[in-house]
Amino acid sequence: MIHVQDKKTMLNQGVLIFVYLGVLSLIEYFIAIAFDAVPLLVVVLLIKAVLVTYYYMHIYKLNLESHVEDEGSYEYKTGTNRLGLWLFLVSDSFVFAGLMVTRMNLLGLTRPPLNQVLGLLITMVLLVSSFFMNRGETLMNNGDRKGYLRNILITFILGVVFLLGVVTVEWPTAIREGLTPSSGPYGAVFFMMTGMHAFHVVTGLIFLMIVYRNARKGLYDQKNYPIEAAAVYWHFVDLVWIFYYPALYLIGALVLS
Amino acid sequence: MRNKHPVWSGFLLLIIGGVIGYVIGLGLEVLVTGTLNYSASVPSAFALLFAVSSFFFGLYGYRGITRGLVWQVIGTLIGGLFITGIRAAMGLKAFGDFFFTEPAWVVGELVGVIAFLFGVGVVSDWMKWARGIETPEHHEDVPTWEKYFGVSLDHKVIGIQYTATALILMGVGGTFAMIFRTELARSQLQFLTTTFHLFNQNGPQIYNTLLSLHGIIMIISILLGVAGIMNYVVPLLLGAQDMAFPRMNAFAFWVAVPAAMLLLMSLVLGGFDTGWTGYPPLSARAPVGVQMFFWGVFTAGWASILGSLNILSTVVRMRAKGMTAMRMPIFVWSSVATSIIALTATQLIGLSFQLVSFQRLFGMGFFDPAKGGNPVLFQHLFWFYSHPAVYVFVLPGLGVISELLPVFARKPLFGYRWVAMSSLGIALVGFLVWAHHMFASGMNEYLRVPFMYSTLLVAVPTGVKFFSWVATMWGGKIETPTPMLFVLGAIIVFLMGGLSGPPNATVSTDLHLTDTYFIVGHFHDTIFGGFVFPFFAAIYYWYPKATGRRMSELWGKVHFWMMTPSFLVLTFGMMRIGLLGMRRRIVDYDPALGFDTTQTVLTIAGFLIFISVVIFAINFFYSMKHGEKAEGNIWNSRSPEWQVPSPMPAHNYAIPFRVVGHPYDYGLPGSKYVEFISEPDYTHHEEVHPETKTH
Repeated sequence: MIHVQDKKTMLNQGVLIFVYLGVLSLIEYFIAIAFDAVPLLVVVLLIKAVLVTYYYMHIYKLNLESHVEDEGSYEYKTGTNRLGLWLFLVSDSFVFAGLMVTRMNLLGLTRPPLNQVLGLLITMVLLVSSFFMNRGETLMNNGDRKGYLRNILITFILGVVFLLGVVTVEWPTAIREGLTPSSGPYGAVFFMMTGMHAFHVVTGLIFLMIVYRNARKGLYDQKNYPIEAAAVYWHFVDLVWIFYYPALYLIGALVLS
Repeated sequence: MRNKHPVWSGFLLLIIGGVIGYVIGLGLEVLVTGTLNYSASVPSAFALLFAVSSFFFGLYGYRGITRGLVWQVIGTLIGGLFITGIRAAMGLKAFGDFFFTEPAWVVGELVGVIAFLFGVGVVSDWMKWARGIETPEHHEDVPTWEKYFGVSLDHKVIGIQYTATALILMGVGGTFAMIFRTELARSQLQFLTTTFHLFNQNGPQIYNTLLSLHGIIMIISILLGVAGIMNYVVPLLLGAQDMAFPRMNAFAFWVAVPAAMLLLMSLVLGGFDTGWTGYPPLSARAPVGVQMFFWGVFTAGWASILGSLNILSTVVRMRAKGMTAMRMPIFVWSSVATSIIALTATQLIGLSFQLVSFQRLFGMGFFDPAKGGNPVLFQHLFWFYSHPAVYVFVLPGLGVISELLPVFARKPLFGYRWVAMSSLGIALVGFLVWAHHMFASGMNEYLRVPFMYSTLLVAVPTGVKFFSWVATMWGGKIETPTPMLFVLGAIIVFLMGGLSGPPNATVSTDLHLTDTYFIVGHFHDTIFGGFVFPFFAAIYYWYPKATGRRMSELWGKVHFWMMTPSFLVLTFGMMRIGLLGMRRRIVDYDPALGFDTTQTVLTIAGFLIFISVVIFAINFFYSMKHGEKAEGNIWNSRSPEWQVPSPMPAHNYAIPFRVVGHPYDYGLPGSKYVEFISEPDYTHHEEVHPETKTH
């Protein structure tokens, strides 16, 4: 659709997508609370996933360099790198899919007793971090290094907030309410899914740190694929949460462990 | 450091290191437990680690693989001691039956693997990139044998490293098989008796461990062998300089080495009696060795995942000019099919083992019915990989068959498009058949029939391949040098495996055949026919390309004629006693069943196979220096890699080529496959066949 655009349009597009995603998240929450309609929920989260994959992760860019002839050029290698990263994400998504299968098999249409407010909050934090990541990447593509650095710093801080929110607030809260890893299938599934996701957040934060530091030294002014790679990976972590949040917090009947 | 007899000093240090390690371990054991137990685990573990590290030290000095192994040992100790310290501070039990406690071993082994990767130096370029330092595209090439023991980015070196590691592991797994095969030769327990003690295990426990390790080590060895052929051959067939991601390629190989060490460690750390499948109710209770097994497989899985990621990217991005999809060699097609499976499904075996490991460590009850878990779920996750995994093994093998047959039948490959698509067909159908391993597991009954039919459906694309092979040979001028012999053997053995498959796929018969030796016979037929025979064929075929010399034809033929009949006897015998009710994975059987004669014959056949592989190994290493020189196109192949002199130069093709025809048009006058973009001047290259004028 809209691939090559000027800076302002692209930034506006980022804001628009963010608003869409935020509204859809609220709709999702509302559906879960009011109707408990899983098929509807699945439709909404698939729309969110498509928006993230297309507008944030730029899956169409896989097709960009196919016209480049010189196999030694940076453009061609970037195309190869993109393909490699996407193949890795496909592979990685099988881990998350496997955990989702585990969740569905063990819990069915029930869900663990979790703090809804906390869940919604950390979800929003991750969503906002994705917005700033996208904004930073867009600015960098338009040559605004300062803006990029500012935005990626915000992304990084929000990522840390998310991580701390899960590990230091949400986990202890769950444990206080009796939901421990060894307490039963609910605890096991909850800690495994959030733990696996948190592990990916940690690796994502490491990549963000690297691209922040190197960009500040001016290394990515010409060859800026690493920024795109870190961004795509970060959005992938967000994408996973788009599926995991409903799976843990919204789907099914609440069970008291 | 140079020394004149590296191999001998390696073996000398192997013994010395083993003894020193054993003594240190014994000392530690006495220190911690206060008792002197000569067959305990810790001395053996230290002996193993020290012996392997000192062997490479003697061979190669303190660099490359030696550094990696030393760092792995140090990393394991640091990780283990760290957790032990924390446990001691928390007032928990600090030392267990196997020196460290289980959490300490798990953390230790993971730290050890990471330390290995840093020690061997395979991640150093990435570390530089992260700090913003650019590195050159290719490393300097070391011209001698030494490059095989350190990190190299050349896909040909990595391919050979993979292949050699695969052969070594195959030797280890084969030796294990010989040990328990000997025990099975007669009913009752002969030498693996209950009074026999080794590594904290008694005879039958050792039997269980060896049998489980035979399974998993052979599987890892096959995965490495697959990666070996693909790595060496695919870029050459595509006309690429290297793989798409050379560093990741090296990483994928080197991560498999510590994984192999972990698997060997599991033998000495109490072993595991679960079979290679590691089903949870048992694997959740097995000794700590099972953790080594879990994380060893997990680590080796990354080799498979990253290797296949690389193959896919290379095939998509780095083909020669003019090589459209329908002009790709069949081996490339089968590599793509294999890589699609390995890239995606491998994650699930890693995940399933990880979940069991966490169940043991943290009491997360995924597969524990007492905690609301579901053991059958493990089998679903596990077989979702482990069934497609057999296609990971056989698809490249079948690709080798299709690749080599036209060369030696001097005829075009029959039905190229169908063969190419059948690989993808097998790969895709392969994703939908996993539950046929679970007909007797107690899963929902309505799942049985769909999985039965999807399994039987696999026979269709496989049948396409068989028809193609037969039609390719039909009326051809068949030559039978050693590679072709192995191709023919592969077709026959794989046919036996294929024919014994449908009885297992059909629910009514499978309920009787589950867990009998019939399954064992069927499985060995498919894997030998689908992978091991083609693997040998590929080695005999591409060996001259890699070394510039060929392996001895005579000993190659001895290898073939010794292995094939014994192998057929072995598997038919297994199927026979399986049908009569012999259970798999048991150390003893009732003499009244009357299996003694058959079992003895099977053991003899097994030893003949072992000897034939030893002959192969000697031939393999001897021919590197003393084989007959073979620098030209000795097989009259049309494939691009044979149009340049052997051994292959460092960056493959000095002059790029263009694909102008179909790869398998043998014997068609005037047909051309590749055309070098400017005329290469290889003076000693002979025009060997009037029909294959490529110059």
